[in-house]
Amino acid sequence: MHPRSYRLIFPEPATSSPGSSATPSVLRVRPASPPPKGPDSQGALQLPSRELWIAAHVPQLPLLAIATAESGAATSSAPLVIVDAADRNPRIIDADANAQAAGVQVGMTLGAAFALVPHLDARPRDAALELALMRRLAGIAATFTPQVSIEPPDGLLLEIKPSLSLFGGLRELCRQLRDACRADPVLAQTQVQPRFTLAPTALAALAAARAGARCFITDPNVLAARLKPLPLATLRWPEEENARLLGMGVRTLGELMRLPRAGFAKRFGVERLADLDRLLGRRADPRRRLVRRERYRGRLDLDHEIEDHERILEALRPLLTELEQFLRTRQRGITALQCRFHHYRAAPTSCTLRLAHPEANAGRLQSLLRERLANLVLPEPVRRCELRGGALSERPLASSPLWPAGERGHAPAGEMPALIEHLRARLGAGAVYGLTGVSEHRPENAWRVAEPALAPVVSKVSAGDLSVGAPFHRPLWLLHVPQELDSQRGRPRHGGELRLLAGPERIESGWWDGADVQRDYYVASNTHGARLWIYREYNASRRWFLHGIFG
Amino acid sequence: MPETHAKQLEELLAHPSVWRGRSRAAVETFPTGFAALDAGLPGGGWPRHGLIEILTPQPGAGELYLLLPALAALSRLTPARWCTWVSPPHEPFAPALMAHGVALDRMLIVRTHLPLWAQEQALRSGACEVALAWLPRASPRAIRRLQLAAEQGRALGVLYRSRAFASDPSPAMLRVLLEPLADAGRHGARVSLLKSRGGSRDPIELEWAAAAA
Repeated sequence: MHPRSYRLIFPEPATSSPGSSATPSVLRVRPASPPPKGPDSQGALQLPSRELWIAAHVPQLPLLAIATAESGAATSSAPLVIVDAADRNPRIIDADANAQAAGVQVGMTLGAAFALVPHLDARPRDAALELALMRRLAGIAATFTPQVSIEPPDGLLLEIKPSLSLFGGLRELCRQLRDACRADPVLAQTQVQPRFTLAPTALAALAAARAGARCFITDPNVLAARLKPLPLATLRWPEEENARLLGMGVRTLGELMRLPRAGFAKRFGVERLADLDRLLGRRADPRRRLVRRERYRGRLDLDHEIEDHERILEALRPLLTELEQFLRTRQRGITALQCRFHHYRAAPTSCTLRLAHPEANAGRLQSLLRERLANLVLPEPVRRCELRGGALSERPLASSPLWPAGERGHAPAGEMPALIEHLRARLGAGAVYGLTGVSEHRPENAWRVAEPALAPVVSKVSAGDLSVGAPFHRPLWLLHVPQELDSQRGRPRHGGELRLLAGPERIESGWWDGADVQRDYYVASNTHGARLWIYREYNASRRWFLHGIFG
Repeated sequence: MPETHAKQLEELLAHPSVWRGRSRAAVETFPTGFAALDAGLPGGGWPRHGLIEILTPQPGAGELYLLLPALAALSRLTPARWCTWVSPPHEPFAPALMAHGVALDRMLIVRTHLPLWAQEQALRSGACEVALAWLPRASPRAIRRLQLAAEQGRALGVLYRSRAFASDPSPAMLRVLLEPLADAGRHGARVSLLKSRGGSRDPIELEWAAAAA
């Protein structure tokens, strides 16, 4: 057997009476309990077996990850150890069989290890690859239950109680899980062979898996008894606390459970006691689900080079149909789609389509791509197309309306976001926007560009807040930049002399943010009868500006 | 049975898509907010669907005041669709629109160098109650396309164009010439219907102060 491969342990359920073979001498859990003494002696476990957790522990994961990263390279026969490079005083986190034979232990400082074995090969850990391997494992586990979480760095938890009837019982599910892990090519190549354990609580399953113990417990009442022989280190509490407990003569979980609750909480904190309660199922232990990130990737090699946009779209059709199928089976939509076109010599051209709401329809995506492609310049003919979907998002399913939008007061359904997407696909995202009012005296700050609201919103700013007195004194058009006016003997001109009709209205504000304004606003009329909104700065310059037009 | 035939013929002629010479066409309309204008327009208001053209000598002739009551009413419908503004000459000033009762969250501004294309998409999509567009120039064929798009999308399309195009042929169902009143004491405009399906031939004078109050 290869030194780095491990036996897949998936113990059979205990056939003998619970706890009898394991540790009968320390079995203290009874349905009707004596007065509480230790942390575990609070009486019968209150939780029925509502949950069943499978823990998968990958032993020596850092070593496996490094070995995978260097597969193919000449393997040196020197003893190999893995250290955490982030640590200032690096400690050994994993050591191969050669190193262990030479006396190197996990937890040792690197200096001590070098003292033992001068020709030691020390490598920093590859955390990214370790995580990738765990994610791979999680991906397999996710086909059995949605409740999968990674317990960093080398543990995986699955809650399988709801899946039991679906997979034909516990034994069948375990067998299928084991087979699926064996069949995975990546895991087989890296020799990742997880140890599985089963227990009614997540922490118990995890602790047993780390200890390498055979653990197949379905009955919560025997849980405490079966956990007793496990070493303390399986809980992975901080080194310093473990050392203190060891100093108190506590080496196993059983000895830990015997400590008085109050004193334990006082010395080690309430959080540690809560850990212990979670371990024994006295306290709920919710885990965050691992959400798999799925993306669509499609690639199409063309038989011949294409230059014409319409024909490119036609060529993309099968990919889009595949994308639609991919999204439909997941009942999801995408809000971003990237297209990459590969050429013979030139660098690939890429264009990204952004959507206002999740979309899964191939026809709609194609029509949006058509608009997007219309202003895409291709340096050379296209040889290969690639399609990359963005993150998947929930797509609310709705039935199609009977009436077209706008008829008989019918609500528009998908048309409103669709119009925005359509316009943006061609004109760019910034070209389409909504408006919102801001409670502010300076006219240029009294409005803002807003993302178009897909659902009608109740405006937080009412017309009264906008300090618009009579509506007549605010123009309907505002110029982007105030336009300076000529003046003659202090009177403003704009294609002829302007007649001041109303004003002044003084607006002086913004001294605190650097955009200070000191203006007297007037309503003026030009020779054509149009009404203008003009102002005069009343600081030293006394210049006239046109700022708005009463449309 | 001549009476029944005549009755059937009348029913047929009452169909909204049939327009006979001098008679007023039966189009679906909604009030403009100006009593004088309602009286002059065919059907007693702006058409609910279709394309209208507003010709002005310069921006600021009252082109927005003319439509403000309509915009306010359309943006407050439930469920309301978009009111799009395709390449407006300046920024629509949000506080003033709000003060006139326009629901800002239904406004959609489109800045583009392709106003004809954007206007056609907006009208055809069925997502707009009304689409305003400022067009520099457009061929009668392009306007015809917009007219068809408006009917298909059941939207009101409004084209703002310069008075210089007044003599060009246009397939829009209603063409309005708007001139500000020269009298400085009154803020308003004179509205002449250049083309309508049976509207008033005399210019109508409107004052915006009344609309704003």
